Amino acid sequence: MTERLLPGGQPEAGRIVVDGRPVSFAAGDSIAVAIVRAGESPAGGGTLCLTGDCGNCLVQVDGVAYVRSCQQRAYPGISVTRHPREGLPVLPHISGPDLTLSPFGPGIEVLRAEVDVAVIGGGATGREAAATAEGEGKRVLVLDAEGGDEVVGIYPGPMVIVRTPTLMLHVFPHEIVVATGAAEIHPAVPGNGLDGILTARAAQRLHAAGIELGAAVAVGTPPEGVPCIPVAGRLVRVEGDERGRVRAVVTADDWIEAETTTPCDTLIVGLGFAPRDVLVRMAGEVPLSVVGPAADAAMPLPPAPTDPTAVVCTCNGTTVADLETAWERGFQELELLKRSSLACLGTCQGGACLPQVRAWIAARTGHVPAPFTARPASRQLTLAEAGADVTVDAFRRTPLHDEHLALGGRLDRFGGWWRPWHYGDPIAEYWAVREGVSLGDVSTLGKLVVSGPDVVEFLERLYPCRVADILPGRSRYALLLNERGHIMDDGMILREAKNLFALTFTSGGAANAEMWIRDWIDQWGLNVHVLDRTMSLAAINVTGPLGAELLTRAGLAERPAFLGHTHADVAGVPCHVMRLSFTGEASWELHHPVDRSVELWRALMSLGADLGIRPHGLKALFGLRLEKGHVIVGMDTELDTTPRRARMAWAVRMDKPTFIGKAALARTAKQPDHRRLHGFTMDGQAPVEGSPIMVDGDIVGHVTGSWTSPVLGKAVMLGWLKRLPYPETVTIEGREAIVSPTPFYDPEGERARA
Amino acid sequence: MHALRAPGVRVVANPESIDGAVWHDAGPGREEFEPLVLRFARDEVFAIGATGVEIDDADAIVVAEVGYVALMFPADEFVDFVVPHIEWPAPRSRPAFAQGSIAGVPAKVYLDVTGAATVLVQGVYLDELIDRLPMPQ
Repeated sequence: MTERLLPGGQPEAGRIVVDGRPVSFAAGDSIAVAIVRAGESPAGGGTLCLTGDCGNCLVQVDGVAYVRSCQQRAYPGISVTRHPREGLPVLPHISGPDLTLSPFGPGIEVLRAEVDVAVIGGGATGREAAATAEGEGKRVLVLDAEGGDEVVGIYPGPMVIVRTPTLMLHVFPHEIVVATGAAEIHPAVPGNGLDGILTARAAQRLHAAGIELGAAVAVGTPPEGVPCIPVAGRLVRVEGDERGRVRAVVTADDWIEAETTTPCDTLIVGLGFAPRDVLVRMAGEVPLSVVGPAADAAMPLPPAPTDPTAVVCTCNGTTVADLETAWERGFQELELLKRSSLACLGTCQGGACLPQVRAWIAARTGHVPAPFTARPASRQLTLAEAGADVTVDAFRRTPLHDEHLALGGRLDRFGGWWRPWHYGDPIAEYWAVREGVSLGDVSTLGKLVVSGPDVVEFLERLYPCRVADILPGRSRYALLLNERGHIMDDGMILREAKNLFALTFTSGGAANAEMWIRDWIDQWGLNVHVLDRTMSLAAINVTGPLGAELLTRAGLAERPAFLGHTHADVAGVPCHVMRLSFTGEASWELHHPVDRSVELWRALMSLGADLGIRPHGLKALFGLRLEKGHVIVGMDTELDTTPRRARMAWAVRMDKPTFIGKAALARTAKQPDHRRLHGFTMDGQAPVEGSPIMVDGDIVGHVTGSWTSPVLGKAVMLGWLKRLPYPETVTIEGREAIVSPTPFYDPEGERARA
Repeated sequence: MHALRAPGVRVVANPESIDGAVWHDAGPGREEFEPLVLRFARDEVFAIGATGVEIDDADAIVVAEVGYVALMFPADEFVDFVVPHIEWPAPRSRPAFAQGSIAGVPAKVYLDVTGAATVLVQGVYLDELIDRLPMPQ
């Protein structure tokens, strides 16, 4: 059966309001027809097609601009404001706290439909295609712009996005049939912006609606059934009166090189057709079938426009002279010409002018260029319609989310998670780490388990460090590089058994790292199992010089040595205990099941109460790590940061047989490369992150991380220097900063290993 | 709708060995319970309610999984409150298992023969998903 998802029917005659004045309409009138019936022009001039192919009848309807008035039915009570003849329409003022909300009401409803066949176009070929599919027992949905269903985009899936007067349709068809027919050629001659020019179809529609056209003359093929005087010859120009209305048409007989001027009230142009194929050109790889005139690529182009003053693209006002200027500047290809001249980039997306531009290029080159690729949306949408049913990114909450809130945590979104930025006093949190004991919620870290007979081989190829010599119970820091040797992520490799490893990644990079790993396993055909445990395991970092005492109280008397790890109960909760340090103090990450996290957190907070325990947030953590010079991938690194640029070549073993990125690193190692991540110190408060780093008045880099160090009594920074020679001092925020080695704090790492 | 944690056993192993896996439930003395075995991928499976597994793959990754929460919907509530937020075609057969986003949140859906639905979501996404589904409280 053929489905019709929207209510049909037409309103009886009534009145709409146009520019503040009442305008009567007859049953079945579009807004454009109603305005013409009132003796006026929908948009102040230009050829009317009344088929939705051009941008010559744009109006605001109830505050929504860029509505094709020929495609929207007139209903009693709607308020229409015609677009100005020159310039842009004044858009309604958007106010309120949420600019994503429509100023005209609540969000736009989305209706989804899954059908066997979506037929786009309700003309003869569309109806025939629909009948054929119905005969085969298929569920068919006909989408007809004339009926109010404007297809604005076709996407892979396939998915067809449809704008309707009341809601958005997201259609998921198994087959798509495009039967959109053909559009009439618009004239590209001087005077084509006058009021009173109609295509043949438009003339037929107005005549059928009972609208008098006055003294009408027709150039080209005259419309059947419409009283008019055919005028022979080539259309040269249209002449108008002081009101901007057509007064006469000038045609030429090229045989005798004579022009004829014919007075008229209305000019009807029957200049031929072009496939209405914008959706076909938009579909790309999406399979669809095209039937009827929309598939007729052999339709002849119109004569190339020649008069330099003639407007080719009426949406953007592009003239033939503009095309010539762009061409002379070297934009001698359709895609380039449209971008440089703005032809075909207006409201109608070339619906009216593409044939003219192609003809103009063909006259220059002798070759007819293929039409350009079209992009959604083919029709204008409001932001509310485009954003209908769009969801923002979902941010995860760790099992300790409510604990953080109860402790006064100020949470923010970071790396795909809600994370505590601080708990009211980041400096106190900092000192708890440096001098006492503190807890950090590191549940957000990426956590993978990999195993299998080929797992060591795989990890050796994946990472630039050695893996095979990591003993069970030991771990190693590792960079993750791409084929170009650029740093993608970093984390730890922890060996559990001969063929079993745990891997950690940054919070924001974990998902990408997992895809990367799975892709390479497939690519290499290795027998490796992968399990993502990021959201199944929580993790608490116990850090600070009193951390060992806290863990002893929690039952962990036997603790792993630095870079060691073990499985043990802590406060009765089974944990994978990892002895690492990102803060610069002795630290233990306790990875544990998410359903025991609150229990473990509360136990540790309780056991450490007399030790002055307090949690720390990201603000303190970023300062702590900065004092150690630890790099945060994505914050300190850029997309093309290599280990050498980050001064982390120590994490790369070029003597390994192979690893991802090795070839690129070997090649670039022979090339000069001045970009380096450096440490800086300065007196006083830390500058804003992102501040430019200046030398002799020139910008030579920028600050990636900054922190006013309580323990060091000065500001410490990481930042890029991208020019030789590396200076001893630079200027940041107008103050002198000293280029300094890192780590700034505990350079021998004694506290971290304690 | 009601929500509860969905503990079970999660396994990544050779596909053939997963096909032949033997699942252990709560064991003698407990109420008889048949694990609900959901195949996430050819090489990955999650058995809700299972407490152990016998599997013929020495390198299989077998873990106790507690990260998932199950949202149980009667058929009519699922249609009214969840389906409008599913962008992908819902499976037509029953029982069925599908994976994708619901209101932009990664989720998995098990539909039993009656059409009742179990929406499986990682606990870290639970609040976000509930916020996005306009369900009666």
